[in-house]
Amino acid sequence: MSVLWAIFLREAGVAWGGGGGAAGPTAFFLAAITLAPLAIGPAPEILLVVAPGIMAFIALLAVLQSAERLFGDDLGDGTLDLYALTATSLPWLALSKTLGQAFATLFPLPIIATIGGMMYGLPPQPALILGLALLMAIPALSLIAGFAGALVAGVRRGGLLISLIATPMMIPVLIFASSAGRSALVGDERDVASLLLTAAVSLASIALFPFGIAAAIRSRLS
Amino acid sequence: MGDMQPMNIAPDQAKSLAQQAFEPVALRAFGLALSRGDTKLAQNLDLSLDPGEAILLTGHNGAGKTTLLRTLAGFVRPDAGRVEINGQPLSETAGEQVGWLGHTDGLKPAETVRQSLAFWMRVQGGGKISPLPTLRALDMDRWIDRPTGRLSRGQQRRIALARVILSNRPLWLLDEPAGPLDGQGRTRLAEQVQAHRSRGGSVIAATHQVLDWSDARLLNLGGTS
Repeated sequence: MSVLWAIFLREAGVAWGGGGGAAGPTAFFLAAITLAPLAIGPAPEILLVVAPGIMAFIALLAVLQSAERLFGDDLGDGTLDLYALTATSLPWLALSKTLGQAFATLFPLPIIATIGGMMYGLPPQPALILGLALLMAIPALSLIAGFAGALVAGVRRGGLLISLIATPMMIPVLIFASSAGRSALVGDERDVASLLLTAAVSLASIALFPFGIAAAIRSRLS
Repeated sequence: MGDMQPMNIAPDQAKSLAQQAFEPVALRAFGLALSRGDTKLAQNLDLSLDPGEAILLTGHNGAGKTTLLRTLAGFVRPDAGRVEINGQPLSETAGEQVGWLGHTDGLKPAETVRQSLAFWMRVQGGGKISPLPTLRALDMDRWIDRPTGRLSRGQQRRIALARVILSNRPLWLLDEPAGPLDGQGRTRLAEQVQAHRSRGGSVIAATHQVLDWSDARLLNLGGTS
């Protein structure tokens, strides 16, 4: 466990020190939620309804932003070779690395989504539910993006492929996370169910995607 | 190993490395067939490396030196044949026995030398010895708190070499280890390889340069070099 914790902390540190940490995804998220009303229109009743979907969708795009570098940088500088030659199993290692990077780069998003939701007119409780849903969605979104990133590591213009591979797998997370906020807004008790489903998808992702990422890494190393 | 020269490294590094110990290993490759795309690189290649031995892989560009090294490390699956370490399949042992130095150095620019070495010693199981004596032996101790991104290519190579030494693995696989090193760096490299071999370690290095490693066998891939 101490090795996995060391990898988690190191990857968070590398993402923070070398990759700008949360600055990129945060700036993207802030810019997007600021600009969206200009395109949708300023009507409060419309912004109120679309807020959960907008926040969840922008979070999805923010996660995709850093996916190309997640394993591409490590493949390029030889770090993946070294990771493959450790006694730690590659799926565990992939999980630690992906969650470490996610922790460093994405942790402000649920907070900003909560505040952003209130700026769009959501009452505090639905806004909090929405933030909580995004918090639960981040492991799933990160691992899906990591899987796509590992598959195309070292491929030129891999960003396009990542979008094509990852976005279909992210659809359930997008639906459940936004539906939690929407349900809370209309007083529907399904908000808790949506939250739990989001968490379930994240747990399933934690159980499955590290194996896919490990297989993709082995393929890229050969 | 009997006719081997004594370790030509500083006493403090020798003392530091003495706190680490590894079981020497024997590497065997049987009937390897290697290819890259449609190009056949080697057919029916046998290779044997005992504790204390070194092999220098030579050959022209594209001859398959790196492919052979990556096969021996377990990254590349051969078209035919098998690799064993101490009689066990490579896949079961590479993660604990192989010290790897690839084309690239595996360094993160924002990490300091100290952070990078501490991390890899923890992950690769190199123990809790101080990296300073090894860095001193490579003339890199004064840069220990400098981010690796602010070092020269040759200095980065020395740090990557320090990582291999401190990983405490018996089998070193080195891909162009002397590439960016100056004359003094190549001397330091030779000293460290010699010290490793005198502890029972073994080394295979792919190289274009003439490396003065005592008793190292030459394996020329792809005919003329």
